[in-house]
Amino acid sequence: MTDHLGDLAALYALGALETDEAMLAERHLEGCDACRRLLAQAEADVTAMAAAQLQRDPPRPLRAPPDVAATPVRRIWAPAWIALAAAVAIAIAPGAYLLRENFAMHSAMVADAQAIARVAMSEHRTASFSGTDARVMYAPDGSWYCIVIRGVAAPLHVVWPHDGTQTMLGTAMPHGDVALLYLPKSHRMETLSLMRNGQVVGQAQLVF
Amino acid sequence: MSALAIEVFAFMRSALDEEALAAAFAAKERWAFDEAYARFGKLLYSTAYHVLGNAEDAQDCVHDALARVWKSPDSYMRSRGAVRSFLTVCVRNEAITRLRSKVRRRKLEERVAAEYRDEEELETGDVIEHDRLRAAMRTLPDEQRRPLELAYFEHKTHVEIARELAEPLGTVKSRIALGLRKLGAALGARA
Repeated sequence: MTDHLGDLAALYALGALETDEAMLAERHLEGCDACRRLLAQAEADVTAMAAAQLQRDPPRPLRAPPDVAATPVRRIWAPAWIALAAAVAIAIAPGAYLLRENFAMHSAMVADAQAIARVAMSEHRTASFSGTDARVMYAPDGSWYCIVIRGVAAPLHVVWPHDGTQTMLGTAMPHGDVALLYLPKSHRMETLSLMRNGQVVGQAQLVF
Repeated sequence: MSALAIEVFAFMRSALDEEALAAAFAAKERWAFDEAYARFGKLLYSTAYHVLGNAEDAQDCVHDALARVWKSPDSYMRSRGAVRSFLTVCVRNEAITRLRSKVRRRKLEERVAAEYRDEEELETGDVIEHDRLRAAMRTLPDEQRRPLELAYFEHKTHVEIARELAEPLGTVKSRIALGLRKLGAALGARA
C-alpha cells in the first residue's frame, strides 16, 4: 500500500479491515509517520469507546506473559523527582525503606496492601491552594510539608508570607505536568503561597 | 493503609506521565510493561470481555496480545500515540481475530447474542450511567451510527457492513470514519 491510510485508519483501529487489508496497512504504517499519528488518534477514539462501556474486574489477577516475567529487570536511574518522591515517603513514613529499590518496584508495592500499610503511619493534614490545582500535605507539628501541584508546565516558587515579609522556601519543578516540593521544617507555617514571575498564583491556609 | 500512603503512591503513579511511560514502553523497559499492566489491566480485560463474552477467553486474549506486543521488535513506537490506546486496540483486535476464527464462530455468535440479552436486561435499570458509549452513540445520525455499531459491537468488516447495509464500500468507510471522529470527540478523546 503506497497511499496513505485516510479513512482506513478508523477501520484498522476498529478491527474492521479484511485480513489482507490490515496486513497492507501495517506494512504502510512501518514507514509512514503521518499515518501512525492518524492511527493513534483513531485508536484513542476506539479506546474512549471501550472505556465508556461497563468495566469489569478480571476474576483473577492478570498474569504477565512468561517471557516478560523472565526478562531481567534493568536497573534504571530514577530522575530527580522520583528520588524526591521517594525521599518524601521515606522522610514522612516510617518503614518506607521498601522504596529503596527503583521506581519500577512501586507497582508491586501497590499490589501489596500489607507492605503499603507499613509504609506510612504518620498523621498529616491537607490544605488546598486557591486558584490552582495544588495542595499541601503537612505534619500537624510543622515538621514537614509536601506541596503537590498538578497541571503545571513551568516551575513555581513556594513562599511563606509572614510578619510582613515573604520567605522563599523552594521551587517546585514540574515533571510531566506534576510538580512536587518536600520541605522538612521545624516550625508551623500557617500560609503558603505559590508564585510565578513575582505574582501570587495560589495560596493555602494551613490549620494547626 | 493510611491516607498518607495513598496520597504518596497516587502521586507517584500519576506523576509518571504518559510521555515517560510511552518512552519507556518503546524502549522495552520491563517496569513500563508492569506499569501498563497495572494501570490498564482492567480496561484491557473489559475490552476483551466485551468482544468475547467470556472471562477465561478474555484473560487469555489479554495475555496473548500483550505477549505478542512485547515479543515483537518495534511493535510500539511513540508516534503510535498513547500506550493505553495502543494496547487497547491490540487487545481488541486480538479478541476480534479470535471471535472470527472458524472453530469458534458459531458458538461465539450465540455468546454474543447472550451477552446482548444480558446487557438489554441491564438496560432496564440505569445502564446509561454505566455505559456511556451507548448513550453517546445515540447522538450520531443513523447513517453513521449503524455502520459504526456493526463494526464495534458486531465486529464486522467494512465489506460485510457494506453488504448488510447495501451501501457502496466507499460510503461505508467514510461514514464509519466520520462517526468514529464524532464519537471520539463526544467521549473526550479529541481536543
